[in-house]
Amino acid sequence: MLAVFLLYTSIAGGGGTPSVKPSELTSQTGTISVAGLVVGPVTGDAYADGMRFKLRDIEGDSPKTVAVLYKGSVPDLFKIGRHIVVEGELKNGTFVASPGSMVTKCPSKYTAVKPPE
Amino acid sequence: MPELGRAALVITLGLSVYALVAGAAAATLGRRRLAHSARNALIGAFASTVVASVVLAVAFARDDFSLTYVADHSSRSLGGIYKLSAFWGGQEGSLLLWLLILTGYSALAVWLNRRRARDLVVWVVPVLAGICVGFSWLLVAVASPFAVQAAPLDGAGLNPSLQNPYMMSHPPFLYLGYVGLAVPFAFAMGALLSGRTDERWIVTTRRWTLLAWTALGIGQLLGAHWAYVEVGWGGYYAWDPVENAALMPFLAATAFLHSVMIQEKRGMLKVWNVVLVSLAFCLSLFGTFLTRSGVVNSIHSFTRSDIGPWFLAFIIVAVAFSTALILWRLPLLRSTTRLESLVSREAVFLYNNLLLVALCLTILWGVAWPILSEAVRGQSVVVGRPYYDFFLRIFGLPLLLLMGAGPLIAWRRASLRGLLRTFAWPGGIAVATGIVLLARGAGSSIPGLIAYTFSAFVLAAIALEFARGTRARRALSSESWPVAFASLIGRNRRRYGGYVVHAAVVLLAIGIAGSSAYDSVTEGRLAPGQSLAVADYRLTYEKLAERDTDHATEVRAQVAVVRAGKDLGTVEAGKNSYRIAGPEPQVSSEVGIRTNYATGEDLFVIAEQVNDDGSVYFRVFVKPLVNLIWLAGLVFLLGSVIALWPDAREERRLAVRYGEAGSPAPSR
Repeated sequence: MLAVFLLYTSIAGGGGTPSVKPSELTSQTGTISVAGLVVGPVTGDAYADGMRFKLRDIEGDSPKTVAVLYKGSVPDLFKIGRHIVVEGELKNGTFVASPGSMVTKCPSKYTAVKPPE
Repeated sequence: MPELGRAALVITLGLSVYALVAGAAAATLGRRRLAHSARNALIGAFASTVVASVVLAVAFARDDFSLTYVADHSSRSLGGIYKLSAFWGGQEGSLLLWLLILTGYSALAVWLNRRRARDLVVWVVPVLAGICVGFSWLLVAVASPFAVQAAPLDGAGLNPSLQNPYMMSHPPFLYLGYVGLAVPFAFAMGALLSGRTDERWIVTTRRWTLLAWTALGIGQLLGAHWAYVEVGWGGYYAWDPVENAALMPFLAATAFLHSVMIQEKRGMLKVWNVVLVSLAFCLSLFGTFLTRSGVVNSIHSFTRSDIGPWFLAFIIVAVAFSTALILWRLPLLRSTTRLESLVSREAVFLYNNLLLVALCLTILWGVAWPILSEAVRGQSVVVGRPYYDFFLRIFGLPLLLLMGAGPLIAWRRASLRGLLRTFAWPGGIAVATGIVLLARGAGSSIPGLIAYTFSAFVLAAIALEFARGTRARRALSSESWPVAFASLIGRNRRRYGGYVVHAAVVLLAIGIAGSSAYDSVTEGRLAPGQSLAVADYRLTYEKLAERDTDHATEVRAQVAVVRAGKDLGTVEAGKNSYRIAGPEPQVSSEVGIRTNYATGEDLFVIAEQVNDDGSVYFRVFVKPLVNLIWLAGLVFLLGSVIALWPDAREERRLAVRYGEAGSPAPSR
């Protein structure tokens, strides 16, 4: 019974949204999730016409980047060099993110500014 | 001093290994003095872990930055109380806290039971010691909090987002819960090893399970509240893998707390109970693994580390060990009775269990699938909110209904006439509530309407139970209503404490349904003087204020709030820029919340973007009934305390049942 249930959930779950690296993003269709490192320049306004930036692979040294158009909430931790995850669709070579889908990863280590001695 | 800390941890490891080996030998050979010595070693392991913890705490208090861990997580300017919470601000300290709680629980559990259930406890000692060995090994060999360096002038400090009271309470509560599940697990394994597979291990650990379960529940609600007021995206639970990591063992433990009643009352579900308690414990290990290993993408992104493989090995050992034991003892775990009817109290318990475990495994699947998919297919995937929300409704709503129905259905076999009589009132109230709500427009969300209707049913059922019990007591003892009510609860704490917890779950369900199914949101860019409307609120952005504190620059948008023509004053929302090393400051949103205490509704204001021209992009939520979620936490705590409270009558009854006056219990 439990086996039937698990089988059912794995099918009903549909396997989730595929997640790819920026360098692998070429001709995918449908909703996908991209995890990457933010590359500048960051232009535009996410709360108006949309913010534009590029993403490259977090690991490895593939020089390939993908242009991203993003609207909606920008997490506080978003900036150049941060790891982010966005969901959306590839349209004419630009990754059009679903509004508000951006998630940032926390900086791994925190360092406070040293007060002047 | 670090040498002392390191030495203390090595001693803990040594004592744990001894307690494991000597304890297992003593239990196998039936050597009583050796068993005592193993037990004392386990208690000694707690003492040495206390020493190690005190050393680390003192190092934090004295800003001893020659300890790498202290330098990485604290600084001179950190407020006193946060120096203590920095103890568990990183991996090594968290593991030490785990070990401290584990050895503390172990020492207390074997000490309290030293004269009871001896044949069981001799086997509990090596099981608990085995878990202690694992954790102390990690702390000694893999992730020592006592690594030293040339002391820098100042430490790195604690991340500003961790400098709040939640950091003081949320992690320790979760650990009290996670680790607490080790005790019932060890007793279950002890029962299997010793062959005492009757309900003795369950009775002995009932309070431990309740305590761990309560701590886990409270810890999660604290985390939810933390997310709600501090993280500031407008929600309280994001189905993040690390949040799920705590929810899964909680659900398994909830199922376990219910199914053990069936074994106590009817001698059924013996296999199921040991499976559940093993599942709960292994999930708590898995939860710690998820949190600490960095295998999943999560907002709780802790430093990636090398303890992952060790933890994985632990989990595999724990799963293999418990599975092998259960299979070995399967012949002893036969039920003494069978299910008589599909419409009976025990059947409802069974349905509740299946739903809870189904929900738990669905979440496990959602968490594990991305990891498995990456490993097996090389294709990484993300399992998002819709998946979890769907299954929460599919399994959660029937669970809610069963919670009301269970207590109304008779044990063994319920008659149709009996059912009609007991269901008439709660059923009628639920239908009436549903109709009224539908008329008032709650039909905009069908799951929300169902949740409300079921909640009304459960509340009515609980009220009916209390009323019926009080009336029966009055008839029996001619006490006044309040006295009869109090003595009803006092004489049957477990049952009525349980009902109070049920009421808390109803509040939680209403709060979740209200704030997620009937919320409103509006967003837009406002210049000073401009307004926006959301639900029956009207918000006017007045001006921007800026102030400097020691650590941060705080920018606040002041917003005047009017609700249905009534002036509610101003709300402030903005951003803090913390001055940290590096080219840019660390920014965090500070939301403005206006609570209506009469209706439990929140107005939730986020200043998403503060522009140079003084305009602000706002996102504003109205969340009806959201405060019932936090109220549920208090009611939950109250119910748990009622159920946990020592009961002299129960103790005497048990002492008689197990023939305990110092003599060893008969073995079967």
